[in-house]
Amino acid sequence: MGSSEKRPKDAMNDIPTFSAENLQNNLKVIQNSRTFLSIIAGVLAGIIGFTGLTGFVFYFVVMLITSVGLMAKAGFSADLYFDSWNRVLFDGFLGGLMSFVLFWTFAYDLVHIF
Amino acid sequence: MAEDLVLDTAIRDWVLIPLSVVMVLIGILRYFVSKLMRSSPTPDAKMVKEGQVIIRARSLKFGANFIPPRSFRTRRSYFSNEENGLLHVPKGEGSNPQAQMFSDPNMAMDMMKKNLSMIIPQTLTFAFVNFFFSGFVAAKIPFPLTQRFRSMLQNGIDLSTVDVSYVSSRSWYFLNLFGLRGLFSLILGDENAIDDTQRMMQMGGFGFDASKSLSAEKDGLDILQHEWALPRFEQRAESVLRKLVK
Repeated sequence: MGSSEKRPKDAMNDIPTFSAENLQNNLKVIQNSRTFLSIIAGVLAGIIGFTGLTGFVFYFVVMLITSVGLMAKAGFSADLYFDSWNRVLFDGFLGGLMSFVLFWTFAYDLVHIF
Repeated sequence: MAEDLVLDTAIRDWVLIPLSVVMVLIGILRYFVSKLMRSSPTPDAKMVKEGQVIIRARSLKFGANFIPPRSFRTRRSYFSNEENGLLHVPKGEGSNPQAQMFSDPNMAMDMMKKNLSMIIPQTLTFAFVNFFFSGFVAAKIPFPLTQRFRSMLQNGIDLSTVDVSYVSSRSWYFLNLFGLRGLFSLILGDENAIDDTQRMMQMGGFGFDASKSLSAEKDGLDILQHEWALPRFEQRAESVLRKLVK
């Protein structure tokens, strides 16, 4: 979304029209931010030393913070920037999970076992 | 019995980090190789025409509510008219995509190249890992798993009393395989986040089946109900301008 306000939905008409290119760009931004944050969350979880369920809870907490952050960036009106709320909140959840687990294992081993 | 094993630092230096680095590098290499090897197929005029017709029909569907009813109907009959409508494919002529696929040498070569470039590095790396890095505990995963995973994760380790969290390097390889997807999408730019698993899923359905998509578009157009969304656009334009001027 960035500083150049890319609104796929034209709010001047009452009819919803979407610019597909802007919509796609916004989705890419969401995915990038989620991936990046899940990697960082993995490293953090490993360093702090979460094990088991606590680690997964930490991952979900970070994902929720990501969602809130994205919503705040979108000005809390997802309708202007995306075609559905679910995308902003839940897209990329599981994709980030694998990266999170990898970096969590990596950091945990580096710090605690070796 | 969850005693904490103390593992040698050499394992970390010589197993975990090199394996990850190698996998990242192989991923990058594969990306560049596939970019170089991508031969641009000479487009078939008929396929391109049909593709463009489909795009036009889709744009019509998308913007149907913005044009007056009569023009919409005119355009729709242009597409789906029984005799000479563009989207209407007579029953017998539907091109058989499978036959086309295999008789077209370019497409077969492309598919084979894609498959090979995907499978070979994976197999090679797997064999490499198995040969060099088997027989010892490589890492500890921070969450517990059930006993059923033991045979999968600990294949080189022959002690059955070791906690399932201590895994062999083969499972580190698999973990990397899945987890580096996200990293690749960040490094290589957004289009190439596809990796093996997604490509394997895509291998099932391929082929540009022209006749089916044409008739699908035609049905979509026929179903579409036209709702004239700008019935009083002069008044609407006036109100918008008023808002702007205020």
